[in-house]
Parts: sequence; C-alpha cells; structure tokens
Amino acid sequence: MSHMTNPLATPDQLFQRRSFDSLPIELQDTILFATQCLTQAAGILLQLPQSVTAQANVLLARYWLVEPIMSHEFSDISAAILYLTAKLSPHPRSPRDLSNVYAYLLSPSTSLFHPPTSPPPSNNPSAYYLSEPAYQAFHTRLLHLEAHALYTLSFDTHVALPHPLAITYLQALDFLGCGGMASSKERIGQRAVRYLNTALLSPQLLCLTSQPNALAVAAIYNAARDVGAKMPECEWWEVFDVDREELGFLVVGMRSVEGWGRKMRADLKGMKMGVERGMVTRADVEAELRRRGLSVVVGNGRVGGGGGDAEEEAARRMDEKMAEMETGV
Amino acid sequence: MASTAKSRWANDEEDAALEAQLKKEKEEKKRLKAEKARKLEAERQAREAAAAAAQQEGDTANGPPTKRRKISPERETEQVGGEPQGINGAPKLLRFEGGVFGRCRSVENYDKLNDIEEGAYGWVSRAKELSTGKVVALKRLKIDPKDRGGLPVTGLREIQILKDCDHRNVVKLREVVVGDDTSKIENIFLVLEFLEHDLKSILEDMPEPFLASEVKTLLQQLASGVAYLHDNWILHRDLKTSNLLLNNRGQLKIADFGMARYVGDPPPKLTQLVVTLWYRAPELLLGATRYGAAVDMWSTGCIFGELLTREPLLQGRNEVDELTKIFELCGVPTEETWPSFRRLPNARGLRLPAQTSGGSAIRARFPLLTAAGVALFNSLLALDPDKRPTAKEMLAHEYFKQDPKPKQEAMFPTFPSKAGQERRRRRETPNAPARGQQAAEIGAVDFSGIFSGREREERGGGFSLRMV
Repeated sequence: MSHMTNPLATPDQLFQRRSFDSLPIELQDTILFATQCLTQAAGILLQLPQSVTAQANVLLARYWLVEPIMSHEFSDISAAILYLTAKLSPHPRSPRDLSNVYAYLLSPSTSLFHPPTSPPPSNNPSAYYLSEPAYQAFHTRLLHLEAHALYTLSFDTHVALPHPLAITYLQALDFLGCGGMASSKERIGQRAVRYLNTALLSPQLLCLTSQPNALAVAAIYNAARDVGAKMPECEWWEVFDVDREELGFLVVGMRSVEGWGRKMRADLKGMKMGVERGMVTRADVEAELRRRGLSVVVGNGRVGGGGGDAEEEAARRMDEKMAEMETGV
Repeated sequence: MASTAKSRWANDEEDAALEAQLKKEKEEKKRLKAEKARKLEAERQAREAAAAAAQQEGDTANGPPTKRRKISPERETEQVGGEPQGINGAPKLLRFEGGVFGRCRSVENYDKLNDIEEGAYGWVSRAKELSTGKVVALKRLKIDPKDRGGLPVTGLREIQILKDCDHRNVVKLREVVVGDDTSKIENIFLVLEFLEHDLKSILEDMPEPFLASEVKTLLQQLASGVAYLHDNWILHRDLKTSNLLLNNRGQLKIADFGMARYVGDPPPKLTQLVVTLWYRAPELLLGATRYGAAVDMWSTGCIFGELLTREPLLQGRNEVDELTKIFELCGVPTEETWPSFRRLPNARGLRLPAQTSGGSAIRARFPLLTAAGVALFNSLLALDPDKRPTAKEMLAHEYFKQDPKPKQEAMFPTFPSKAGQERRRRRETPNAPARGQQAAEIGAVDFSGIFSGREREERGGGFSLRMV
C-alpha cells in the first residue's frame, strides 16, 4: 500500500508554522514558493525526471514544517534535498553538477524569476563561474544539510506521488488512449498532470494534507471540467475513495494556486527591489523584515540586528578561506 | 457493487423464510440509515447556506471562492426509489493512513547491552529501550566522514526499503535514531526487532542437520518473505544464511537490506557486483547488468542446499572457481538449456567441455531428498534465470504439500542463544561485494576439464533407505 500513502502533516505542525521565527506567514509562503520553483528549475537543468524533482518538492515542504524556515539558506536546503532525492532514485547526480546548476540559477544570468515580458537577461558566464573554494564550501554545506534533512524527517524519504495514480484513474475513466477523440483525451491527461505539478507549489501544502488518491481525483476533476469532458453522472470519485467534501476543498485549492503564484512573483519582485532579480535569500528576508520594522530572528535563535548581514558574510568568507587552505594542503 | 444476499441454493421454504426475514431486517436498517443521512444532509445544507451567506457579506473580491455547491445528484433519491439491492447507507470509503513525519529520536533512549556482530555495513548490538524495556537490535551505519558523496546510498536504501516493508518474514525497522549531538549527524542507528539467532550460526553448531519437515518450514518462510519483497518490486540481492534470522518461536526473518533496491519493469541497468560470491547466480557471474528477481531465487536454491547439509553449497574461491563449481553441480549451459547465455559479456571467451557428461548432479549429490524436493531444488538452480520459479510458484510447489509436512513453527526446536550473551564471532563466509569495487573480468577461461573427475565420483545406487 505504500505507493498510495504518504505521511501527512499533523494539525500541530500546521499550526506551529505560524509561530516559527515570528516570520509573517505570507513571507514564509513567498519563500516556499520561490524555493519550490528553484528546485523545479534545478531539476530540469539536471535532467532529472519530474518524478524525482516532485518528490524533492514534497520532502522540502515537509522539512519546513519541522525545521524553522530561517535556519539555513533556502537555496542550500533546496540543493541538499534534491541531491538526496536523486541519490535514492535511479538518477543520481554528483555534487559537482548540483553546484554548477545552483550557481547558475542564483546568478543574474538566469531567467528564473525574470518577468517574461522583459527581454531575457544577458548571459554572463563569469557571473556563475564557481571557484574551487566556493565549490568546496557549497559541497560541505550540501553534505551537512543532507544529513540534517534526513534527521529532520526521521530518515523517512518515502513520497507517494499522485501522478501515477492519476494515470491509472484516467485509464479507468476511459480518458486515456488514442481513439477518435485522441486530442481531447490527451488534453485531459496533460491538464491533470499540470494541476498536480502546480499543486506542489501550493501555500496550503496540499501534498502534505491529502493522500495521493484524493489529489489525483481532484486534478482529473479539474482537468475534465476545463476541457468540458463528459463525466460520469454518479459520484464517481467515491470509487477512488474520495468524499465530496475533500474533493471540493482540493478542487478549489488547486485552482487557486495559479492566481496566487502570479501574485507571488510580483511579491518577489518587490522584495528583491533594484535591478538584481533572482532567488530570494535570507538576507532579502531580513532586509524586508527590517523594512517592516519587525525584529530579525534567525532560525537558531540568534537575533541579528543591523550587523546580521555583515556577520554572515564574514563567516561565509572565512569558510571559503578555510576550504581553500584545506585544498591547498 | 453490493453483494446480493440472495443465495443460489435457497430452494426450500425454510431458507426462503429465513432469507425474507433477513432481508426485512436489512431493509429496516437501511431505512433508518437513510433517514439519518437525510437529517445530516439537511443540517449540513443549512450550515452551508449560513456560511455562504456570511462569506458573501464579508469577503473581498479576490478572496478564495466559496465552497462549491453540490452538483451531483442526490443520493437519497436513489435510495428512496429503493431497488432492494442498492447501496446500503453511506458509501464505505477506504481511508489511507500514512503516519506522520518529524525529527529522529536520540539513541539515548536505548541502553546498550552487548555487541552482536560486525558486518560489512555496520556494527550491530543488542540494546534495551529505556521507556518500555523492550530488547532491540541496534545497527549502526558505517559512515565514512571523508566520503564526499555524503551518507552511503546503501544505508539510505536499506532504511527506505525496510520502512516500506511490513511482513512477518521480513525484519521490522522500528525507527531510526541518531547520536545526541544533532548539529552534525554522524551516528545513525537502525532500531530493528531483535531475533535470537541467525541461521548461519545455528547450522554451524548443529550436531545433526535439520529434519526434512524443519527444512520445509524454513524454506517456506523464506519463500514467503521473498515473494513479498518481489511483489513490492524489491530485490534483496544478498540472500544468504547469515542474513536470515530466526527467533525462538521458529520464525524466520530476512534481514540486512544493504544490497537491496527497488526495481521496475523492464528492469533497469543494475550493478553485477551484488550477492555474496557463494550465493551469486551464474548470470551475475557472467556479467549480466539486466537481471531480476531470479537472482534471489538462485540464492534461495543455495540456501536450500545449505539447510540440507549444513555446509554452504557452492564455496568458490573466486568468480571463476564459483562458476566451475556451479557447472559441476548443475551441468554446463548449452544453447538448449540456456538459450541466450552466449550473449552475456563474460560468456564469450568461455571454453566449455563438449556436451557429454552434462546435466545436473543434484540427484546424485542429495540421494535422500524426495523426488519433489529434487525437482524444486533443480528448478531453483536452473542456469537459465527464466527457468527458475518465482517465489510464488515455489510456495505452491508439490514439495511443501507432500509428507513430511512443514513443521509448525511453534514446534520448532530452540537453540542456545549466542546473540544474547557473548559476542558472535566473525564469519569466514565472504562478504557481499563492496560498492565501487571493480567487477572481476572473466576472460577466456577453459572449463573443458571440469568433468574429468566425474566418472570416478561415487554414484548413488538409484535407491536409498527412507529415513523419516
């Protein structure tokens, strides 16, 4: 049965999310959204199948229900969890590949988080050139966070994705295959998968609160309605063990992600201010908090006042120096 | 959908009367249930309407859409319409429980009692959970801090697979705990259920071999565990007697999943460097990278032999010697017995003896085994992986149905525990191959001499005394 069940978030965990860090919930949503997008982009550049990247998305969302969101740099934890997921899959990727991809995605040259209307950013390879010490430092952080993520999740890396179930259900509903209606059938399948992938970004953490069978049914329901397909007259979702209330909630939840995502992109732009756009970092969040006049609390309880950035930066540079010396020996 | 209560055999009056009564009762129940459902539904609708009204007042334009109104046909109307065999009451939906997630506990929740053994993948010790007093086996993952690949994938796979498994013949992983210092995760322990023995030590210390009925019990349990794994797309890839645990209630459990992994269909490309040499299937020795569940069935066959004689069946010194031993026992492969074997990477350079004395020597080596036993044994050790039975087929084999029947687990003899007190000794069995090791090149090897001694071998007389 393991391919049909996931460990779910407890009400306590969902509630706690509001009390972590005294970080406003909408900022947490923004960070989650940006980091999930970053993970997806990295998965594509690393040529990982979506099944692997999607698992990493789910694990990342779980991780942040246990661990305060500000404890580590967002991009680092994204990389570590993607590394771990790939390692356990039939498609492992080397730390070197990950470091290159993340260096690129965090550089100004990437079009990730770039408004689609404006011209694409100019490609400047020196911006994402990774020096050996920088690579070593990234690698060390990667390994440290890999172990930390496993500890945080009790080494439970099991993720049952709704995608394969959706395929089975589509088949059962005769929405798959290539008859005369091939094109509309194809569109339903495609849309259903899109809804499922979009749900990975949901601020309601749909993948952590519902079992995959419910997600699959909701995605098919939405897709069929979008395409205008004729659905069975009866309460067909009960065949797949989903009740109407849960279905209704998920249908609405899934449909709302698109509009919400658009708003998130706008928010991100606001947060990054200035010309330099890209992945949101802890420093950005701290700056935003300061702008709002809130105290800045870093995950491990350290209160970073005005000097938080400088301190962090100094520590990071020292790390790189150390790594350089080590490799020099 | 609903089961009909109408019996096909209800032809006499009494039955009919009884049935009518049952039917009446059922309908009454159904009626009550439907009424209740109707009430609930009415209540719900009222609530919903109120909520919708409230929301319409206080909601801004871009708020979440209000709850979708019902669009599907009412269930009650169906029911009141009342075909007698309709759905009774509310539908029964399956609920899926997947548990929760959270941080690991600390190893400090356990009190170490004594070491048991050191394997290739870690140290195992016996420990007691402080809060419950339950005795468990703690297996510490070997982690090389210098390994820049991070935590070992074998250990992570073992955890992943054991967490997913739930079968009486597979060892249970209770949880994973870590050392007290959680700023750096260096000590990782698997908390496994504790079993008193492993089959290897028992076999080594037994003065007499297992009875035929006992062999059957063990083999049946092994096959049922393997069937479960294969059903769940898991290959164990290191089945051997030292990885089979036995408790004092005669229960066998498969342990040590350090080599195991999930596979798909069609099978992915896998490393040939799996399974301890003495239990390694010929296709692996010949360098196959696409293999499947049949490699576990070969190991099962080797274990079968070991249960009968208390000695590992095929103790090769190296890959070539292992192949020699296999061909000596099972005969040389031919295009007939194993059609595609010549295409395996290591098979091209093989020089095999001209086909004269081939064929299996199992019947001769195990004269006391019944005909069904020999048939099963032979099929498990079929050179062609496609000819080996699946674990499920094995369970249905005639061998388990014939007398003597498999002994009841509760009637199984007990053995003095070694894991209980003193440290178990290190084994002289070879270990499973390590990751990253280089696969042995079996170049041009001449096997043509392997049967030269066979004529001198003593043959069974074709009959033997039956010993029960």
